[in-house]
Amino acid sequence: MTMSESGGTYIDNFPAEARVVRSALYSSFLALALGGLFGIIQTLHRTDIYRFIESDMYYTVLTAHGVFLVVTFTIFFLVGVFTWAVTTSLDRGVEDIRFTWLWYGLMTIGTVMAAAAILAGFTDSIDMSADVLFTFYAPLQAHWLFYLGLVVFVVGTWLAGADWFRSWWAWKQENPDERIPLPTFMVLTTMLMWYIATIGIAVSILVFLLPWSLGIIDSVNPTLTRTLFWFWGHPVVYFWLLPAYMMWYVMLPKISGGKLFSDPLARVVFILFLLLSTPVGIHHQYLDPGIAEGFKFIAMTNTMFLLLPSLLTAFTVVASMEHGARQRGGTGYFGWLKALPWRDPVFAGMALAGLMFAAGGFSGMINAGMNINYLVHNTLWVPGHFHLTVGTASALTFMAATYWLLPQLTGKALWNRSVALVQVVLWFLGMTFMSNSMHRAGLLGIPRRTAEPQYQGFEFEAGVGSVAELDFQLALGGALLAISIVLFLANVVGTAFNGRSDDLPANEFAETLSGPEDSPQVLDNLKLWTAIAVVLVILAYSFPLMSIVDRGGLYGPDISPFPVSIETLSLLAFTLEQYTTAAIATTGEFVQTTLTGVIR
Amino acid sequence: MRVSKEALLIILAFIAPIIVELRTVLAWANIELTVLESVVLGLAIVALVLVWAFFPEDESSSETPERQLSNGD
Ligand code: HEM
Ligand SMILES: [Cu+2]
Repeated sequence: MTMSESGGTYIDNFPAEARVVRSALYSSFLALALGGLFGIIQTLHRTDIYRFIESDMYYTVLTAHGVFLVVTFTIFFLVGVFTWAVTTSLDRGVEDIRFTWLWYGLMTIGTVMAAAAILAGFTDSIDMSADVLFTFYAPLQAHWLFYLGLVVFVVGTWLAGADWFRSWWAWKQENPDERIPLPTFMVLTTMLMWYIATIGIAVSILVFLLPWSLGIIDSVNPTLTRTLFWFWGHPVVYFWLLPAYMMWYVMLPKISGGKLFSDPLARVVFILFLLLSTPVGIHHQYLDPGIAEGFKFIAMTNTMFLLLPSLLTAFTVVASMEHGARQRGGTGYFGWLKALPWRDPVFAGMALAGLMFAAGGFSGMINAGMNINYLVHNTLWVPGHFHLTVGTASALTFMAATYWLLPQLTGKALWNRSVALVQVVLWFLGMTFMSNSMHRAGLLGIPRRTAEPQYQGFEFEAGVGSVAELDFQLALGGALLAISIVLFLANVVGTAFNGRSDDLPANEFAETLSGPEDSPQVLDNLKLWTAIAVVLVILAYSFPLMSIVDRGGLYGPDISPFPVSIETLSLLAFTLEQYTTAAIATTGEFVQTTLTGVIR
Repeated sequence: MRVSKEALLIILAFIAPIIVELRTVLAWANIELTVLESVVLGLAIVALVLVWAFFPEDESSSETPERQLSNGD
């Protein structure tokens, strides 16, 4: 699977694409810098160690932290790395670079709109705010610019996906009998998941929240918009995670000195994510009163199935690493671990990220269990969990990958490898303190999302230690993380100002022990998997959504702009179901013919 | 040195979560440490690792040959 037969770095082979990917990465790092800044501010504030904002500004800070990190940082990085993966693995540039800049531009404009709405919350002189947190639950209401910005941003990502599909179709014309190269396969399946998932948020914003913020409708049904949010909100966590998985599959084995253990297994994993990511969103709503327990139970069962692809990933990635270590002369039961290239920041960062992800997986299982979830729901445990997953498994993998990608994209050697190694280790250390104390605090019942986690006349009691210690640990961890971000950014800037280097490694992926020829052809049948995914989503969501609308009305309890009854609704749902299934089946050909028709 | 500087850094990082939660684990065995005691204990463990790492070892040791291999970078 060595792609660029030509050898050379990415920028040698694809100079125009390298510019877009670089811009996407720099945009993402800017968001990381801002998000990290707000992160340390809120950490010091809620632990009452150092306060310089008013508590009523806390939600502005927290919204900025959440949105900049889990929407802007992660997704800009993703579109960059996916463009790199598709062009490298198909060994062809994008079809039309102007289209590529178009989607990058849309994403940027969308971000600027949403960011303006959020940051305006810091000043009273502008009558605009979006203190709604990254979940934007009604009845919290943001300025319409925030919702519109999100829409523009998401449309940008849709076009990005279209760009990659277009590359693949063009490649397929020329290579009709070849299997889809693994990295491209991963990108396409992830994007199919994204298309399905974003339907939820598109409906939520376009039909409800945006008209509501513009005053066109008077109210919304909060349970409905929340449910639509989590329709998107769970798959988005895989949108953050799958690029990291991709790097673990296609880069880590090579950096470990070996080959990917199994290409077919990797394909199966990505298909499972496509199928199972969306019909589980209700597991974020175990405590929502308006949803029947039975639906929650189904969501829980689906969620437990989702563990499977992650366990498969752990197995494949560790097996590949062991293979690499043994190639490098490692021996023994555990002795091979010593033979891994720990001094390489790319490897060390990804390996540490994977390790922390295992811990995040365990706390995730606790979140996923309906009954134990009640213990930790809305406590600091939950941020403790996702700082291990998106905040480390994704974020740290992205930073480590940057140490490999940046030289490829700039043709310049990394500014300082030792600083890079210290940076990834510091992230691990900081996150150990921060996430551990968050989990522990959550077990005591300390709430998340509050500037003042202490209540008058009430003390949280720790079994071991004290709340003050946990606060200190949280702040210590947060400070180490902030330093780690500064070191990372220093390396990015330092590299950008380096001179061109001639002895950079060629832009290549890991080879495989068991290649695509060992996997059944049906794995590459994207239409089939998409159709099954859509059916699963309809099964999981049609009844919950119908009963939510039935109970609370489409636009809130008493307000029905047009008469709605359960009969008309089920008829509507049925028609919709028929229509979608049929539409999905033909979408492939349709989009293809239109695109070629319009563009060529 | 018994291990490379980088390996030492990684080993110390791996010890951190153990030190952080050691106090909880010991509490299960009814050994209750104060913050100060657990910090001291943690530093002692780190010191032990440092001594182990820097303790001069027989030169004929076979710790390093695999490090000669390139990282592919
Ligand atoms: C300097 C590093 C960071 C620090 C100090 C930090 C600190 C925190 C703290 C203390 C909270 C909880 C606030 C509360 O609930 O009251 C929080 C929430 C959050 N953090 Fe971070 N964090 C950091 C990095 C990250 C990264 C890298 C990500 C993701 C890529 C992330 C994503 C989030 C999200 C999504 C929330 C939840 C926001 C909400 O409740 O709406 N954080 N962070
Ligand atoms: Cu979820």
